[in-house]
Amino acid sequence: MLKKLTRFYHPKTIEEACLFLGNAEHKTAILAGGTSEVLRQDNSIEALVDISNVKELNCIGKDSVYYRIGAGTPIQDIYKSKLLSGPSGDLLKTAAGKIGSTLLRNSITAGGNLAGLFPWSDMPVVYLALDAEVVCRKGKPKRTVPVQNVIEKRPAQFLASAEIIAEIALPIYSKGTGTSFAKFAKTANDYAMITLATRISLKGGKIDQARIAVNAITASPVRCLEAEKLLVGQKPTDELIAAAAAKAADSISIRKDFRASREYRKEVFEVMVRRALTESLEKAGK
Amino acid sequence: MKLNTRINGKDFSLEIKPNAMLVDVLRQAGFKGVKFGCGEGSCGACAVMINGKPRNSCITVAGSVEGAEILTVEGMGTPGKPHILQQAFVDAGSTQCGYCNPGSLIAAKALLDSNPNPTADDVKDALDGNLCRCTGYVKRIDAVLNAAEAAKKTKKSTRGKK
Repeated sequence: MLKKLTRFYHPKTIEEACLFLGNAEHKTAILAGGTSEVLRQDNSIEALVDISNVKELNCIGKDSVYYRIGAGTPIQDIYKSKLLSGPSGDLLKTAAGKIGSTLLRNSITAGGNLAGLFPWSDMPVVYLALDAEVVCRKGKPKRTVPVQNVIEKRPAQFLASAEIIAEIALPIYSKGTGTSFAKFAKTANDYAMITLATRISLKGGKIDQARIAVNAITASPVRCLEAEKLLVGQKPTDELIAAAAAKAADSISIRKDFRASREYRKEVFEVMVRRALTESLEKAGK
Repeated sequence: MKLNTRINGKDFSLEIKPNAMLVDVLRQAGFKGVKFGCGEGSCGACAVMINGKPRNSCITVAGSVEGAEILTVEGMGTPGKPHILQQAFVDAGSTQCGYCNPGSLIAAKALLDSNPNPTADDVKDALDGNLCRCTGYVKRIDAVLNAAEAAKKTKKSTRGKK
């Protein structure tokens, strides 16, 4: 792998990183923890821009509206974070803790898990469920876009040349919102067969916002929009949740491999959605 | 390509292939305590500390540790003067074939560095990336908990001497 690789760049700032990435002399790629580069086995890359020394990419911050997570922050730091709390923080930490192992979590990063965007990537569903925004930087200029847009166009196509994902901004939800994360895999370390994040926000006893975001069972992270629509504006009942779970299971196109059949995954998925929505609701009501 | 890095407290300037993986570079440099297991980041036999964080060296591109501080099991202790964790692993019988031990010890050290008073659950969580097919995962939990106790005692006794 990486047969044509001849050199590494070690920028200290985002501007420097973008400059190296934009160097037209050779084919460059960005390197954070490196786990996806190893999987991708791309033999055309000639230079790697290692962003692990860019301090501004490695931080977890908070303002009045958002948690701001630097794209190069290891997932382990999210899992162990003392700053993250409440419905958004719980979801982030629970999901982060269920990714791979301690050793892998120290390599996998918040931005890399989105930029790599494999079918089994766990964090993108969390970003979708929380309506996250992605801050992209091309040197100094920056743009902030909904994570949905980045995922729909695929990050590799969405980002301009020499543009990088710099930060994930996650809205801080407070009382009246509940979240839940669930993952279905053969072992804790194996690729997920289903990874699911849900969020319910209540207003006046009715469901104001609902998010059901899923990956791994699908080829790319998606929201189950029809099922969400079924929930919004309604008073939450067990029947409603069961109907939404059934709708969610019917609305996605299911991937399969040697681990399990489509039929089996579909059945498991419906139960997982039902339980996740129930848990989200319980937490929202507290 | 040259790679400048600090391994177990000593500076190294190694000649490496640009696409080399860290596990191979370390073993070729003589650090045979770093074991090659699955080669895909699942088993943890190759775990080393990079800037204080335990990571799988088999899926870490060597070029990315330029200027970094690396700790392998050789840097923890010697047969004559084992690290408190190494002694605890021996005493608890948390070693049979021994292939997973270098990685497990590094992961255990990372835990004790950040949390001197771990619970059994903390130990399970910290060692979740290190497969061990011999000992059955119980003895190493005992070993790490014992080591944490022993470390506290040594600290107390050295403080008393002062």
